[in-house]
Amino acid sequence: MYRNTYDSDNTVFSPQGRLHQVEYALEAVKQGSAAVGLRSKTHAILLALKRSTGELASYQQKMYRIDDHVGIAIAGLTSDARVLSNFMRQQAMSSRMVFNRPIPVNRLVSSIADKAQVNTQEYGRRPYGVGFLVIGQDKTGPHLYEFAPSGNSYEYYAMSIGARSQSAKTYLEKHFESFADCTLEDLIRHGLHALRESLQQDKELTINNTSIGIAGPASVHEKDVPAGGSFRILEGEPVEVFLKSMVPKETAEAQAAEAPAAEAPPDGAAPAQAGDQDVSMAE
Amino acid sequence: MTSIGTGYDLSASTYSPDGRIFQVEYANKTVENSGTVIGLRVKDGIILAVEKLVHSKLLVPESNRRILTVDRHIGMATSGLLADGRHLANRARDEAYNYREMYRESPPLKEVVQRLGLYVQAYTLYSSVRPFGVSTIFGAVDKTGPALFIVEPSGISYGYHGAAIGKGRQIAKTELEKLKLAELSMREAVFEAARIIHLVHDDSKEKEFQLELSWIGEETKGLHLPVPKDLCEEADRKAREALETFE
Amino acid sequence: MDHFPTSWGRPRTEAYDAYNTFPLHQRPNPGHKDAFAEGVQRTQQPIVTGTSVLGILYKDGIMLVADTLASYGSLARFKSIQRLHPVGSSTVIGASGDMSDFQYLQTLLEELIIEEFAEADKHELGPAEIHEYLSRIMYGRRSKMNPLWNSLLVAGKKDGKRFLAYVDLLGTTYSASTIATGYGAYIALPLLRTAVEGKEDTLTEEEARKILEDAMRVLFYRDARSLDKYQIAIVNDEGVTISEPKKIETEWGFAEGIRGYGAQIQ
Repeated sequence: MYRNTYDSDNTVFSPQGRLHQVEYALEAVKQGSAAVGLRSKTHAILLALKRSTGELASYQQKMYRIDDHVGIAIAGLTSDARVLSNFMRQQAMSSRMVFNRPIPVNRLVSSIADKAQVNTQEYGRRPYGVGFLVIGQDKTGPHLYEFAPSGNSYEYYAMSIGARSQSAKTYLEKHFESFADCTLEDLIRHGLHALRESLQQDKELTINNTSIGIAGPASVHEKDVPAGGSFRILEGEPVEVFLKSMVPKETAEAQAAEAPAAEAPPDGAAPAQAGDQDVSMAE
Repeated sequence: MTSIGTGYDLSASTYSPDGRIFQVEYANKTVENSGTVIGLRVKDGIILAVEKLVHSKLLVPESNRRILTVDRHIGMATSGLLADGRHLANRARDEAYNYREMYRESPPLKEVVQRLGLYVQAYTLYSSVRPFGVSTIFGAVDKTGPALFIVEPSGISYGYHGAAIGKGRQIAKTELEKLKLAELSMREAVFEAARIIHLVHDDSKEKEFQLELSWIGEETKGLHLPVPKDLCEEADRKAREALETFE
Repeated sequence: MDHFPTSWGRPRTEAYDAYNTFPLHQRPNPGHKDAFAEGVQRTQQPIVTGTSVLGILYKDGIMLVADTLASYGSLARFKSIQRLHPVGSSTVIGASGDMSDFQYLQTLLEELIIEEFAEADKHELGPAEIHEYLSRIMYGRRSKMNPLWNSLLVAGKKDGKRFLAYVDLLGTTYSASTIATGYGAYIALPLLRTAVEGKEDTLTEEEARKILEDAMRVLFYRDARSLDKYQIAIVNDEGVTISEPKKIETEWGFAEGIRGYGAQIQ
């Protein structure tokens, strides 16, 4: 109701106790094209849909390598993403230099979450306009984290961010229990299916607009992957074989129609409710 | 909605005609809309319990801990904006470390809480920053024994035997007042805390939740540790049973 | 927090000014002036010192030994000092050289361990990480011409792997199955090498103890700044244990027949 008076400054609470500038920053993340992340017992992967401004232009880079064992996919303002990913690289390098160990992924994500929180509390600053999906391997296994400009970060089994990501999330929620024991190829296939859900009508995943990031041992289709399975980004030709492994949409829909829908999450589920303050600013 | 300040509530550096600072009150609103957190100070230690609202079933259950450790013997749990809570935890760790460096001993909880109260209050003085949107429960066992405090967004801190913040604090407070906290042991307090959290959780309004418990005291040799998994599960089970017989 | 409007939008220097404590006119970079710049003296010499520390690998882990003396020049001043210090649950460090610098290092390491404990995730700092951290600190101080005057042994066992390494006031590091600092490097190391090299995976705890005790006895006979009281630290799969101080049995009877030593009877 009174949103307009309370939403121009970073430092103003609304009477309902909400920070509207931060919620608007979360909208900026939703403007970016979709990115999906999922993990199994052995691997964590990212899949992203790349946009291009036109036929003559190249496609926007959606993934960044942070360290041998950590990679991210972004959704939102690319320039903010570069600044934060640079910070992450510094933190990762610092851990290797001072302690001779690869940085534990949860600590890396907490460091950017804390950095982003500062920007939500001071006048003259604006919240970062980008969200990340961070994957990595450390001593405790593969991990997937979501980072949001509100300064909140959570660990997930599978997650998607960006435009029309709710449809991808629906797919992930349906299937996530089977991810743990998937092979890398199956995991990528699930990820591509989820990513496909976020496409607009008449669009499809091609080798030009899809990128896949993998942290973990090599798949049967990859060559020259170092033994430890460091984070790598697959784009262009190498993606073809995985795209071919997808189940065509018509068959998939027929299968879904046969199986009783276990739950039908409402579209655009969970709009910002006052009761959700402590777990997320807004969906 | 009588709390709409109409012009006196746009910054923390403005008083209203009746002497209130609305931005701080709105920050309290943020806390009131969040999941419940309680703390119990009992005979031989402290228990902290959090009603962790699960917003997606894709979340990994063991990660995303809400209760944080400050130094070895101090635990804290926040209700409100979680990112602000982490900011305060980092500041509390700095304060504890500075105390330790200066005096070469383990910081008493009272000292850390006072310093943190000053820090939180400083953010309520200026228009260029906003108040913290969290209330924090601190618990520790130091050389004075078990200690429990709440720091509110206004910077006020009080010591408690039983503390509750967040959505279900009224119900939780009523339940806590019924208990004889000074006579409970840590184990008994774990069961009581679980029962109270289950009681305040409104199944009809909210989604699922997870119960997170931690303790400090005799059972942990003075370290702040999560309650062991088997005890947690037992407490959870007993709490659900108690609810069934209640209804 | 920053309530001065003219500072808004400036780069933030989180590294050393996380809470914006420097006044407005000195930002963004106050030049980091040290108030004592004029009268500061660099470390010239160690004052209260400890002598050798010895370390070896054995079958189940590692073992370090050091005597319990802190000398004040030639005076045997503090005879019950613990020079072996546990760090976390899988590492122990032993220091020779200046004892006040060692105490400073102990506080730094304690801060590190508390920070790691507060993270409360399943990651722990093991001996390799502690060693890397210490070597960065030692080398950094040496580069400022203000060294922490110590020679340190860092040892431990993590995830089944044993670790034993050395770092000193110059930032020199090295790792081996037998290491010693101070006089131990000249007198004890040859004895340790003959006894241990090749047998790191078969030596039992008893055998390792005996080797170290014999080496400490030789050192007490020959090192003029040593004591016959020592402590042994063991790190194995169960964790870190530092023993109570033990006395070495020594034989000085041979001196009686020599003119100039012992009670002069003739």
